[in-house]
Amino acid sequence: MLQCIFLLSDSGEVMLEKQLTGHRVDRSICAWFWDQPDSFKSLPVIASPTHYLFQIVRDGITFLACTQVEMPPLMGIEFLCRVADVLSDYLGGLNEDLVKDNFIIVYELLDEMIDNGFPLTTEPNILREMIAPPNLVTKMLSVVTGNASNVSDTLPSGAGSCVPWRPTDPKYSSNEVYVDLVEEMDAIVNRDGELVKCEVYGEVQMSSQLTGFPDLTLSFANPSVLEDMRFHPCVRFRPWESHQLLSFVPPDGQFKLMSYMVKKLKNTPLYVKPQITSDSGTCRVSVLVGIRSDPGKTIESITLSFQLPHCVSSADLSSNHGTVTILSNKTCTWTIGRIPSDKTPCLSGTLALETGLERLHVYPTFKVGFKIMGIALSGLRIQKLDLQTIPPRLYKGFRAQTRAGDFDVRL
Amino acid sequence: MSPPAASQRYPSPSQPSGEVTDLKSQLRQLAGSRAPGVDDSKRDLFKKATSDIVLKKMCYLYVGNYAKGNPDLSLLTINFLQRDCKDQDPMIRGLALRSLCSLRVPNLVEYLVGPLGSGLKDNNSYVRTIAVTGVLKLYHISASTCIDADFPATLKSLMLHDSDAQVVSNCLSALQEIWSLEASHSEEACREKESLLSKPVIYYFLNRIKEFNEWAQCLILELAVKYVPSDSNDIFDIMNLLEDRLQHANGAIVLATVKVSLQLTLSMTDVHQQVYECIKSPLLTLVSSGSPEQSYAIFSHLHLLVVRAPFIFALDYKHFYCQYNEPSYVKKLKLEMLTAVANEGNTYEIVTELCEYAANVDIAIARESIRAVGKIALQQYDVNAIVDRLLQFLEMEKDYVTVETLVLVKDLLRKYPQWSHDCISVVADMSDAPYILENLIENWEEEHSAEVRLHLLTAAMKCFFKRPPETQKALGIALAAGMADFHQDVHDRALFYYRVLQYDVHVAERVVSPPKQAVSVFTDTQSSEIKDRIFDEFNSLSVIYQKPSYMFTDKEHRGPFEFSDEIGNISIAPEASSDIVPAQQFEANDKDLLLSTDEKDDNKGVSNNGSAYTAPSYDNSNISSQMQELAISPAPPRLFCESTGDNGLDSSTITDQTHAESFHSLHRIGWSIYKLQVFLLCLKGIRSIIKLSHRVCHKLFIGQGTDKIESGRAEYVSGIRHPI
Repeated sequence: MLQCIFLLSDSGEVMLEKQLTGHRVDRSICAWFWDQPDSFKSLPVIASPTHYLFQIVRDGITFLACTQVEMPPLMGIEFLCRVADVLSDYLGGLNEDLVKDNFIIVYELLDEMIDNGFPLTTEPNILREMIAPPNLVTKMLSVVTGNASNVSDTLPSGAGSCVPWRPTDPKYSSNEVYVDLVEEMDAIVNRDGELVKCEVYGEVQMSSQLTGFPDLTLSFANPSVLEDMRFHPCVRFRPWESHQLLSFVPPDGQFKLMSYMVKKLKNTPLYVKPQITSDSGTCRVSVLVGIRSDPGKTIESITLSFQLPHCVSSADLSSNHGTVTILSNKTCTWTIGRIPSDKTPCLSGTLALETGLERLHVYPTFKVGFKIMGIALSGLRIQKLDLQTIPPRLYKGFRAQTRAGDFDVRL
Repeated sequence: MSPPAASQRYPSPSQPSGEVTDLKSQLRQLAGSRAPGVDDSKRDLFKKATSDIVLKKMCYLYVGNYAKGNPDLSLLTINFLQRDCKDQDPMIRGLALRSLCSLRVPNLVEYLVGPLGSGLKDNNSYVRTIAVTGVLKLYHISASTCIDADFPATLKSLMLHDSDAQVVSNCLSALQEIWSLEASHSEEACREKESLLSKPVIYYFLNRIKEFNEWAQCLILELAVKYVPSDSNDIFDIMNLLEDRLQHANGAIVLATVKVSLQLTLSMTDVHQQVYECIKSPLLTLVSSGSPEQSYAIFSHLHLLVVRAPFIFALDYKHFYCQYNEPSYVKKLKLEMLTAVANEGNTYEIVTELCEYAANVDIAIARESIRAVGKIALQQYDVNAIVDRLLQFLEMEKDYVTVETLVLVKDLLRKYPQWSHDCISVVADMSDAPYILENLIENWEEEHSAEVRLHLLTAAMKCFFKRPPETQKALGIALAAGMADFHQDVHDRALFYYRVLQYDVHVAERVVSPPKQAVSVFTDTQSSEIKDRIFDEFNSLSVIYQKPSYMFTDKEHRGPFEFSDEIGNISIAPEASSDIVPAQQFEANDKDLLLSTDEKDDNKGVSNNGSAYTAPSYDNSNISSQMQELAISPAPPRLFCESTGDNGLDSSTITDQTHAESFHSLHRIGWSIYKLQVFLLCLKGIRSIIKLSHRVCHKLFIGQGTDKIESGRAEYVSGIRHPI
């Protein structure tokens, strides 16, 4: 199992080291790791001369775990992902300063999450009960009273209950439950303008503050569009198999109820028509963006970004709507916002190629970003959410949102 | 570790935060107390610390980290820890017990047994969980103490009767480890270990699998893999119990379930196929929903499955299209997947997609995708369209695209000689091949890579047989320069060519440039036996390295990758590649060969300074007249070793290869002239990048079967592949 976990800053400094077993892992492994060439270092699983290393990088922080024995690789990677999620949840983001300011929390969390190299509890709800997340109030308290404790005095009851994701008896004066459909559209448009792939990855996110032991049932109007579902452990399998009903006892607070895919969609809400013609060392670029199929709600925060090829020496690009920025690393971003009603946004300009090059042979890929509030592009609709016993003062809410995931338009 | 390391873990004074600075000052005191004579202050601090749980935790951490270095001092902490083990608060009891077991000081084990025993009987499950892990820690410090206290038996009863799932799963992991370590010298442990795999125990776990947390579920599924079912009903029962695990959000569980299902049904072919169908969509979802790191691990497994059953993903090939933002390690695996799933139905789409990557900004991926196109072309029967595409690549005039395409064209032509006309017509006339070669040879001294020089020699030879008058001079210079070369292989090859030419020009032609034969199948780089072994180790690191575990865990198989046990002297040469192995084998007979060839040279009066060979009189008749005087020296194995080894023949057979066999194999590696010309004319187009041409040169001219070694080497150069 895992022998040691290191957290490295983006300059390769070891910020934190947690030895898990009797076999100590020397820090020099981190130096070795950091000196590897980039293409090798970016691999999630690496064999060093002494250990096998698992690593993930989140917001510039490298989570590195070492082992010397055979183990399921995904277990190591999944665990590190979980650690990163929990830490960023606790610290409200991840960066060097946050980790350094909250060493104690991080150590406490790691202590509860893994013992002797074997993962224990990674359920955020339970951890939250054992170790209070840092917030302004506790910081104030510790300064004022001098009492530095952020550990709750009682042990989490969920740790021992038969529904491990839920504390035994939470009490709320007002009961609230919200369901969010969050979808991401992945699409590839090839050089001929054909839609090669278009699918939606969606999540049902919930936020529940319910008293007692609620038993919920969520149903969809059109569950048949869903493919490849993945459920939170609280979802009962049988009702879904037989009636496509999500029946569950929810965790307390925010959680991801399920994720799903909807494949083989026919249309993207936007079209992007790029054109590049090159002749005797200069290229003319023109990109048109417009609405292909109106989703019924406003498409917001439209952006288009692409990497200029290395052989481009200078670029002069302008647009009739929105702003164009070109960074020093040759990333060009065109922020459009909303599509105006009176004109079609168009980016145009010229690229000068390096001397000696007549024509452009390497073409950029355009990445499209957008956001649509209030609608799920997959067409999935929530029918209703039932509670077995209805608590007093219950608020239920639904919301939907779609944004672009990996939406590539190739040229 | 030295005390400064402790302060390193805490932030610098420039970023104070109430809690941390307070703690830091206290821990500084603690660090100071390590000096002899100030033990009292340490004790004081511990007293103070007991009032605050966070401070306590940090003290435990500190003590745990440094106890090993100062076993005597850590004795002082035992008292406090033991007292804490009896605290009212279960959390403190648990923490103290965990720290006590984490001290890992052998002479303190006697203090562990008592608290552990009561910890295992504690009425709070949190404490029991920690105590169970503590038993395992104790076992690693002192196995005999652990066994004497009869802890394994206690764990076993806890495992079967405790109400808390976490306690049960910790018992399972602890017992597995203890018994498998004990099994080597205790029959009882052996029996116990097997009893874990008995039907009641397995069902006991599988029936309540949903109660366990996700990591414990992984552990149970791993246990279930080892279970040998009694009959088919047994298999179906287990499969039913595990059905919904495939839908779990944790990828580790899904993969473990897949492994159980695949292993259970190995004997039942039709069910096995159904299993493939069932696991397909959960795996594909995992790939698209997880982080890139997770995708990487899953893709490695998918790749394994695809190789065994290409049909299952044949319709889902669009999942493996690369998105622009993905990290290159994922893209690379996706390209491999696309290659593997290509069949008659989807080749057109896949190749179209791959061709788009060739113009991609990411050069490494562009290269890989061209290679993938080539692999598909070699698998398929209908290659018309693909050849057209490849020819378009040549027109792109990007150096790396041209290089990769040429290598592919070489392989394709070997399989489909009929396409050669098309290819050659693209590169038009071929009249100045000898002159380009001449240029290269004139710059012999500037060519640093021995590999390239070797292939220049071969190229000059081949060109000579096709167009003797024009190449003769260049060949003379090349042979002379070759024999004067300081590199042993180059020297030997030049000498070999020289002698073959002397012996008989026609024999030489047969050896160096034999008539080409179409190749039907290129050998796979991995044997099916190895693939099966990797499949048996599904859901392990083996899959990611694409090697069975014995190859990277056994010392003998580690090859050039030296695993030292001391971390201090980590040293790895990333260049260490597969070609090291043959080179080492030749070292043994290197010395006497060197002597013998030199001696022979002297005896026969062949001077190495080269002037003799550049003389205009050096022609065929001259050679044949000398032929009588100079017989080819019998069996200088090194000459053949070098060339055959390089060409990917089994190196173990090389050393005892007889003369005739060597000729035979050289015959097989021959390469015909038109490919040389294809190359040379392309070279004309990209003359400005002459450096790069060396790679093409050595890739193109090396003969048959070089794919593996060559592409490996090339990838080290371009930094794509890694020596694992």
